[in-house]
Amino acid sequence: MPRLTFIASQGTSRTVDARSGDSAMQTALAHGIDGITAECGGAMACATCHVHVADEWADRVGPAEDTEADMLEFAASTVTAASRLSCQITMTEELDGLVLHLPDTQI
Amino acid sequence: MPLAPVNDAVTITQLIDNPYPFYRQMRASSPVVSVSAVNRVMLTKAADTRAVKDDPETWSSDDPDTPMKRAFHAHTLMRKDGEEHLRERNAMMPTFSPRNLKTLWGPAYEKLAGEYLDRLPKGEVVDLFPTLAGPLAARILADILGLSEASDDDMQFWSQALIDGAGNFGWFDEPFERVDRAHLAMDALMERKAEYYRANPDQTALSVMVNADDPIAWSQIVANIKIAIGGGINEPRDALLTVLYGLLTNPDQLDEIRSTGQWGSAFEEAIRWVAPIQVSSRRATRDTQIRGIDIPKGTVVMTCQASSNHDEDLFEDGHLFNAFRARNPHQSFGSGPHHCMGTHLARMMLGKIMLPMIFDRFPNMELVRPETVIWKGFGFRGPLNLPVRLN
Ligand code: HEM
Ligand code: HEM
Ligand code: FES
Repeated sequence: MPRLTFIASQGTSRTVDARSGDSAMQTALAHGIDGITAECGGAMACATCHVHVADEWADRVGPAEDTEADMLEFAASTVTAASRLSCQITMTEELDGLVLHLPDTQI
Repeated sequence: MPLAPVNDAVTITQLIDNPYPFYRQMRASSPVVSVSAVNRVMLTKAADTRAVKDDPETWSSDDPDTPMKRAFHAHTLMRKDGEEHLRERNAMMPTFSPRNLKTLWGPAYEKLAGEYLDRLPKGEVVDLFPTLAGPLAARILADILGLSEASDDDMQFWSQALIDGAGNFGWFDEPFERVDRAHLAMDALMERKAEYYRANPDQTALSVMVNADDPIAWSQIVANIKIAIGGGINEPRDALLTVLYGLLTNPDQLDEIRSTGQWGSAFEEAIRWVAPIQVSSRRATRDTQIRGIDIPKGTVVMTCQASSNHDEDLFEDGHLFNAFRARNPHQSFGSGPHHCMGTHLARMMLGKIMLPMIFDRFPNMELVRPETVIWKGFGFRGPLNLPVRLN
């Protein structure tokens, strides 16, 4: 089970177990992480599951692909090169220890 | 396990006048309930409505027995699943791309909004439903869809005809006859405009669908545009009236938002408080259970997002308008694969453009006799009038 850490904008952090194959968004909802809204349930139609990937993980997670990058323009908080939609990040053993920063708001 | 308990006490009139007391009661006593008045199993808790909409394999949008198919002369994307649904939805998506919203529809709406606000009379009592909210929602939608020749009145008439037809659960003749007339006019205009866009492509929905590399069938292009007409006017109209009512009856919140600029939060709170689309239906594709209640295959459940938006598990004092909620996980745009295609458009038009503009133009706008505002609706809900004085 890959472990996944969410760090809220106020700095509080929570580490949870993810099921391999689940998205980071699904993992957040399953553990009641505030700060991921995920209105569209992973259909890449809402941009309310926006996260910033921690610098040290950027290479392994990779950048947003084209449609995802388009949708990210709708995100409510500042979008940076580290921005991803968490419904498009699939948890695998290679991502064990992943750290994601939550933006201050999703809507 | 037991089937859903039956409630045959509540009437359709009560639900149309004000469904919220009934929902509160059901959330407390029997959150999964078979309601005789609408002949459906209602889901009233946020966790349940969300889980159903996020699981399209168990919960199909394809409900064969609604008047919708008759009213739309087609099986529309709203009632399809899986690949077929995605293909039709994606055919229209490019129009609503972030780039188009930013460069085309945002500026277009801003210009129109300014013109419609300029026309409003000052100093006297004016009802914002027929003078602003309705026509402006109709105008921008006509332009985005590629039907700019349609008048505001045409668009509103077509929209209402489609809605009344789709909601015609009594299977009366009049609504179907009226919608048939609307189809003749819509079809004629669309054929004409499709011809034009083949030679002059642009980013409007009709043009994008007609000129796609691998276009969907003409019948489905037409059906998609009609869904957008049926679903793209009432909601922004009702949302605008609702948010204005919420802010004008809570002047302390309005004052604070004027200084902080959190217009987007006010918009989100308004559609949480009174969801413009209150319920959505899904059909069980297999035997299943919700909260220990048996739901046999084929059952049509009504996911009541209006109720979920007031669910005590998520919201404190959900019956009150409070633009400063720390969290606002409302379900007013639905969720899952049918999540509203107009979400970002609606947020931009109302939260980003209209609210700051109207309160900037009319800083002393006052609601005249708020107790005369009439709220109505079970499928769709909003104020039927909004009398204000503009200064
Ligand atoms: C405040 C404004 C709006 C609200 C609250 C709203 C609400 C909704 C909801 C709840 C659904 C999902 C229905 C279901 O799950 O069965 C939906 C679907 C849809 N909405 Fe909106 N809507 C709004 C504005 C718009 C606008 C401006 C458009 C313009 C084009 C639009 C187009 C659509 C379409 C095409 C669908 C069907 C999507 C599908 O089935 O894949 N909506 N809307
Ligand atoms: C005797 C009166 C009415 C009854 C018994 C009734 C019943 C229902 C029922 C059972 C549904 C859910 C079925 C489905 O979508 O598969 C529904 C949906 C709907 N109703 Fe009504 N209705 C009535 C009046 C109205 C009126 C007056 C309107 C509009 C002005 C309306 C608008 C809608 C809409 C838009 C939906 C679609 C929601 C959705 O499925 O996503 N209804 N109604
Ligand atoms: S959950 Fe909607 S885009 Fe990720």
